[in-house]
Amino acid sequence: MESNGNSTSVLVIGAGIAGIESSLLLANSGAKVYLVEKASYFGGNVIKWEEVFPNMECATCMIAPKQQEILQNENIELLTLSQVEAVQGSVGDFTAKVKKKARYVNLESCIGCNECFQPCPVEVDNEFEEGLSKRKAIYIPCAGALPNAPVIDTDNCVRFKGEDCKLCQEACMFEAIDYTQQDEELELRIGAIVVATGFKTFDLTQTPQYGYKKLNNVYSVVEVERICASNGPTEGQIVLQNSEAPESAAIIHCVGRKEKGYCSSVCCMASIKQAHFLRNKLPKMKISQLYSDLCVPGRVYQRFYEEVKESGVDFIRATVNEVTQQGTGLAIKYKTENGEENTLNVDMLILAPAIEPETDSSKLAEILAIPQDEHGFFSEKEPDLDSVDTSREGIFIAGCAQSPKDVPDTVAEAEATVGRILSLSR
Amino acid sequence: MAKKIGVYVCECGNNIADNVDIDRVIKALSPLRDVAVVEKHRLLCSEDGKGFLRQSIIDHELTHLVVAACSPKQHEHTFMSVCIAANLNPYLFQMANIREQCAWVTQDKEEATDKAIRQIAAAIARVAYNEALEKKDIDVCPDVLVIGGGVAGIRAAQVLGSPERKVYLVEKSSSLGGKVKGFDKLFTKMESGSDLIEKELKKLHEAENIEVLTDSEVEQILGFFGNFEVKVVKKATNEELNCDVGAVVLSTGFDLMDPKGLPQYGYGKLDDVCTSLEFEEMNISGGSTGGKILLKNGNPPKSVAIIHCVGREDKGYCSKVCCMYSLKFARMLKAQLPKVKVCQVYSDLCTPGKAYQKFYEETEGLGVEFVRAKKTSVTQNGKGMTVKYESETGSKGDLAADMVILVPAMQPSSDANKLAEMLTIPIDNEGFLAQEHQKLAPVASSVEGVFVVGCAQGPKCILESVVQSEAAAGKILSTLVPGRKLELEVKTSEISETFCTGCKTCISVCPYSAIDFDDFRRISVVNEALCHGCGVCAAACPSGAARVKNFAFAQIYQEVEALLK
Repeated sequence: MESNGNSTSVLVIGAGIAGIESSLLLANSGAKVYLVEKASYFGGNVIKWEEVFPNMECATCMIAPKQQEILQNENIELLTLSQVEAVQGSVGDFTAKVKKKARYVNLESCIGCNECFQPCPVEVDNEFEEGLSKRKAIYIPCAGALPNAPVIDTDNCVRFKGEDCKLCQEACMFEAIDYTQQDEELELRIGAIVVATGFKTFDLTQTPQYGYKKLNNVYSVVEVERICASNGPTEGQIVLQNSEAPESAAIIHCVGRKEKGYCSSVCCMASIKQAHFLRNKLPKMKISQLYSDLCVPGRVYQRFYEEVKESGVDFIRATVNEVTQQGTGLAIKYKTENGEENTLNVDMLILAPAIEPETDSSKLAEILAIPQDEHGFFSEKEPDLDSVDTSREGIFIAGCAQSPKDVPDTVAEAEATVGRILSLSR
Repeated sequence: MAKKIGVYVCECGNNIADNVDIDRVIKALSPLRDVAVVEKHRLLCSEDGKGFLRQSIIDHELTHLVVAACSPKQHEHTFMSVCIAANLNPYLFQMANIREQCAWVTQDKEEATDKAIRQIAAAIARVAYNEALEKKDIDVCPDVLVIGGGVAGIRAAQVLGSPERKVYLVEKSSSLGGKVKGFDKLFTKMESGSDLIEKELKKLHEAENIEVLTDSEVEQILGFFGNFEVKVVKKATNEELNCDVGAVVLSTGFDLMDPKGLPQYGYGKLDDVCTSLEFEEMNISGGSTGGKILLKNGNPPKSVAIIHCVGREDKGYCSKVCCMYSLKFARMLKAQLPKVKVCQVYSDLCTPGKAYQKFYEETEGLGVEFVRAKKTSVTQNGKGMTVKYESETGSKGDLAADMVILVPAMQPSSDANKLAEMLTIPIDNEGFLAQEHQKLAPVASSVEGVFVVGCAQGPKCILESVVQSEAAAGKILSTLVPGRKLELEVKTSEISETFCTGCKTCISVCPYSAIDFDDFRRISVVNEALCHGCGVCAAACPSGAARVKNFAFAQIYQEVEALLK
């Protein structure tokens, strides 16, 4: 393997929970780790969740200590705003080209005080909050995001569009804002690669029958996570578009399952968790789950489902035909398995979308020369046996980049990549 | 030696200075006891700030340090490093968070200044009682004991074995391969389980430094992470092997719940009701029927009902893989007996992940019937049987079958419980060994250095079991590095010999099994190699004997008193 003292160097692509776990274990073994993340912050999808099932822990609190460790570990170089552009070589001796976009904010001198946001004249949708709130052109996506330093979004910053605006720079007390920063091309020599690029959710506009983006108060599960989040757009206040609290909600499972042809494995639990969360915040709220087959596999999930069901959440096995606006509310027309047709009226509709591989997966597959399956997930070397090995020796996959899965399975895979990599080097 | 406490207040640019009158803070703190110097700096975490701090510690010959700045989460680490650079023990340093907890949240500048003064005074009062702590490390043994030689144990040994690391793979039966070697077909590729095991064993033989001990059982495990002493006994000869290992992997697999406890299914009474494992056995060429699917009367079945979720309600969990292997059974039946009628009697179909739904759809396409049912029972009906059930809406139904395959819940094998007791790992509500953290540490048990993988950890498929073995290997390889010492937690608990009454309360509450009882002295003793310094024992101890280093009562009382003064 590529020698660094007496151990390996590893490139980890994607700094979500899987990438974080792999990096920490590798670094603790003495390996040098380059942790590449395309966003300006790290923590992946998990940091969007207010609480995680089944113990309803705060996700940010859960992974923040690990994030701090990443930032402090001398063996780990976290490269945010970075993407892998090319990879050559073979196991033990890969060379990776990484493009690191300029942040225009100096990480060493910025203390994350946020003084630069206020004067910025630009306001755009905050993608991290699913567009439910606005952000400036210099911004941190949400309170608590790490590294605790903003980024300038050059697509929207008026200075990068030619105007002579220096308002953020003038507001900074630490001379941390540097408009002259340049994108960098890094060349890394590594012995192994971990691909942990995670997931995105199915585009709900492809299932128009549910009224997403057409009717009021139809949300995706991810949007509702942000509405529930204490650091989110409503600071955890559960409100409808008219700012009133909803009295009822329905969660439709398996949206996009038919289109995708697979079960996304975690949506039942995520939907049950949201019911739990909403009932906790608004105890009188009536919540119905519209599902087909309940998938609560393993040793702990069924108990959580039973608890939520006993708390008064309705579980209706049905297929939904159509959702329409009914006054200020929504009417859900559904059909049960024995053919009965019914209508359910609710204030709020939550859709649980299928899980898909991240947007750039195909490009990355090409760069790494590793195969994808028909759904776009990275293919394991030996289906049904080895899920972290790819067909290319020295390149490993972990987490939802391989197939939809929950946090514990993702963490186990991340740890498994470490087992494979550290046993390669002897 | 007289104490000389240095207090440094960070302005954090304007972040603190804007809302806290720092000069007033300095004036208020200067007269406090043992305070040698109080100074401010524009940004202590900057290179300039750190240099200033280091030089000040040296110039003033400080014995203790207080930094009033941001959250310790952000910069405690930074300032501890400065202490080390200035030759001051880093545990003689305390941080007061006057940014997040004061300047940023208290609107009125006067109030914020008063509050900052109290916060810093509390840190000064506390730091005077801080103890200088030293990092400790211990020698560790890199070798590993793997208990259970099924597919998970074999893989763990493969990954772990190396010239510098010996692996002991202990299997109670006479051969490796576990349950998988007895499966004629595996989902989803319908390849043979014994072929898979053969391939895995070939890789195991290629791996180095592995000692396979079949027909053997682990009798005793003493010690702790990095230093376990193990006694293994070869059953036939009573030969004893003693070995030292640094970590233990439990891969003891699963058993099926015995359906005899659920008489409605007729198991043990009706001839042609079998369990899934018995059906598997029928399909292997070396099995009792020579690989033929036969009824007790020697004829092939014409109709087979596969009843899912047997015992699920009693267990309280879904066994995760049964839907998939029931679909596999349907395929095996259809392959051997093309005309056989197969009906899946199920409640919810669980086919998670990218690959399984397709397998289900293809199986359904073979003409397999699916009946969603609850309250299922089996009765004899002439030469055949009747499966009675209720639909979800409560209407009653039945179907005829001359063979019924029960799919019982999976549970950890009984060996797991014995080992859990030996290793003092608690058992959870569902009967599985407790994990260190349900989300973030899926393979680590609550005892450091002991890992639980595969079906011993929870029901799972082969792929997931193998992942867990590799995960345990990853954790072991990254911490037990040959030739490297293991660094211990510094702020551990300690139990005063004088005050301990030997009531053992601490032992019962310790989540890391880090406290032992000294029978001779009749007191509890903390094992520093295992203690994480969580403080549960200190809170529970009725006699005040247990305390966590640097969380002494004096420190906490002084701190609280100064805050409230």
